[in-house]
Amino acid sequence: MKPAERFFRKYFLAMVGIILLFLSLNAGLLCSVLLWAWDSSNESEISIYAVRDGVAVDSAGNLTTADGLEEQLRENQSWAMLLDEAGDVIWEERLPEELPRHYTPTDVAKFSRWYLKDYPVFVLEHPAGLLVVGAAKNSFVKYYLTYKEPYIRIILAGFTVMVAVNLIAVVLLIWWNMRRVEKAVAPILRGIATVSAGQPVNLPERGELAEINRQLNQAGAFIVKKDGARADWISGVSHDVRTPLSVILGFAGQLEDDQSLPAYAREQAGRIRKQSEKLRSLVADLNLASRLEYAMQPLRLGPVYLVELARQVVCEFLDGGLEEQYEIEFCADQKSEFVSIPGDETLLKRALGNLIQNSIVHNPQGCRIAVSVLCGENCVRVEVADDGVGVAAEKLKQLAVGGRRLESTDERLNLRHGLGVLLVRQIIAAHNGTVAMASEPQKGFKTTLTFPCPVELRRN
Amino acid sequence: MLDKEILVVDDERDLRMMIRSIFDSAGYKQVTTVASGEDALPLIAKKTPGIVILDVMLPGMDGFELLQEIRAISNVPVLMLTARGEAEDRLDGFELGADDYLVKPFLPQELLLRVQAILKRAYPEKGRIVRLAASSVDLGRAEVIKAGRRIPLTAKEYSILEKLADNAGRIVTIGVLCQTLCGDIWQGYETTLMTHIRHLREKIEDNPSKPVSLLTVKGLGYKLVLKEPEQ
Repeated sequence: MKPAERFFRKYFLAMVGIILLFLSLNAGLLCSVLLWAWDSSNESEISIYAVRDGVAVDSAGNLTTADGLEEQLRENQSWAMLLDEAGDVIWEERLPEELPRHYTPTDVAKFSRWYLKDYPVFVLEHPAGLLVVGAAKNSFVKYYLTYKEPYIRIILAGFTVMVAVNLIAVVLLIWWNMRRVEKAVAPILRGIATVSAGQPVNLPERGELAEINRQLNQAGAFIVKKDGARADWISGVSHDVRTPLSVILGFAGQLEDDQSLPAYAREQAGRIRKQSEKLRSLVADLNLASRLEYAMQPLRLGPVYLVELARQVVCEFLDGGLEEQYEIEFCADQKSEFVSIPGDETLLKRALGNLIQNSIVHNPQGCRIAVSVLCGENCVRVEVADDGVGVAAEKLKQLAVGGRRLESTDERLNLRHGLGVLLVRQIIAAHNGTVAMASEPQKGFKTTLTFPCPVELRRN
Repeated sequence: MLDKEILVVDDERDLRMMIRSIFDSAGYKQVTTVASGEDALPLIAKKTPGIVILDVMLPGMDGFELLQEIRAISNVPVLMLTARGEAEDRLDGFELGADDYLVKPFLPQELLLRVQAILKRAYPEKGRIVRLAASSVDLGRAEVIKAGRRIPLTAKEYSILEKLADNAGRIVTIGVLCQTLCGDIWQGYETTLMTHIRHLREKIEDNPSKPVSLLTVKGLGYKLVLKEPEQ
């Protein structure tokens, strides 16, 4: 998942989380209010059960009032009475004078549901009859809810559905809104990615984000223009260097071979020749690297048999007067002879040549270089391994992660090593291959080039 | 070969001087240098040189244009001097009829080898004799002369030996030799090649199991070592 996508997923989840948090917070607040109200109403209320327990009846039917009951009732400005089956008051406590002492079943039915002369009353069955506790006027509100059962069911179910629909709607709306933002931002993110790869961008300059798109387009164009100028500049310089270098190389080479000159003069000429050759390969690498980087070098693809290609590269080294402290071995497995990859022969030769050259350059004391071509699982590998000085882990890491761009110079402005490796990396990347390096100090250096999906030749 | 006229077209005076001195010291007797295509054309029209060495970057008419003009009047072999990439950019060098191209800057040895190879191809030597340690090969008649006896070469042996002789002293890869032997689909014919090499050794070597002229370079190819000319 791309970072931007991840960001939007996280954003969406955060929004949903916020809504859930908001809902649970509200639920919590509602509960608190209810609890608080319940608590405060409990403070000044006498429980009807306490009154019932406070009025005892013995087996003979005599009633006794518990101590303190009267006081409790007074504190709560309440009163109580006990009616027998006939509706007569057989016990009373603080019963207001205005109230009758006899009640018909109609009266009982009325007050048990509503009020008794504006006194809110509560009734409870007592062993001796019906206990009625009355509170002060206006201290209670009594409602009686009676609904048909399906009505309640629909209300409850409807309420649940409503909450669910609300939640889903909110989630969907957030999702939709986020997608909208994501869609609007996506081209910009793609543009940024393209610009960071040094490619030109062309975003439509309309809509709410037109300004940003326009700026990105400008940034892309600017980078491409600068890159192009640099590539042209490198190409121009390396072109201009060629003729003088040809003359230097040519005359130095001739002086070196001139038997009439003293030995020391010929040796000096040889040094000029060698250094000029280094300069030559540096200029060529630099130019090719910059052309590859800015995609100015079209690949001329054809079937490349890596075994034969490697043979030719190794032979060029062997024929080209390899100094005697170096030894190059070549090996290939049976199958690799028959596999080819679509590739640019010149560039691949250059990459392999660079690797062998690196081993030579970094081991002036001499080394043995093994070049091998091996077939793997749906891939073909070319390995260049030497038994020379190798590099420390730190340097290896630098080489391994080294960018694919022409920007790396170390503190001594020493680009040489980096450039050779950079070029190899660029060429192999252009062939969808990978470069792996392994080394330990004093244990040699090994580079493995892996190319995917080779084509196997089937001979009839 | 050394008597072939070499015409160098390059606008850079130092480069002309250098190329002339390379060929002079290699023993070529006729080296002519001119600075532009406009100067070169009348010369070629008057008398066709053995080979033309042509810089791509020329003032006025550039190397490719000049090549087209030359091709209109002559089949003279042409070696183009180019900057790397230029020839590939306009591939073109070959399509227009250049015989080879050499990337600048180059070593004297590279220039000499290319020119020699082109001349050899363009003006094949009749009755060419290749001298080896234990025998001579008469390429004109496809025969090996060993200890006074003439041993004929088969067609395949001949083509292998010719390829090796053309590149004498250098390794010729297994692929190139198999290609000489079998054409475009050459992969996997190494054993066939080895058989031919064994037969060749029996014909040209004193001791075929210890070859001194036709050497194996393990895994890479073969190399034909010529007999050092006695001084």
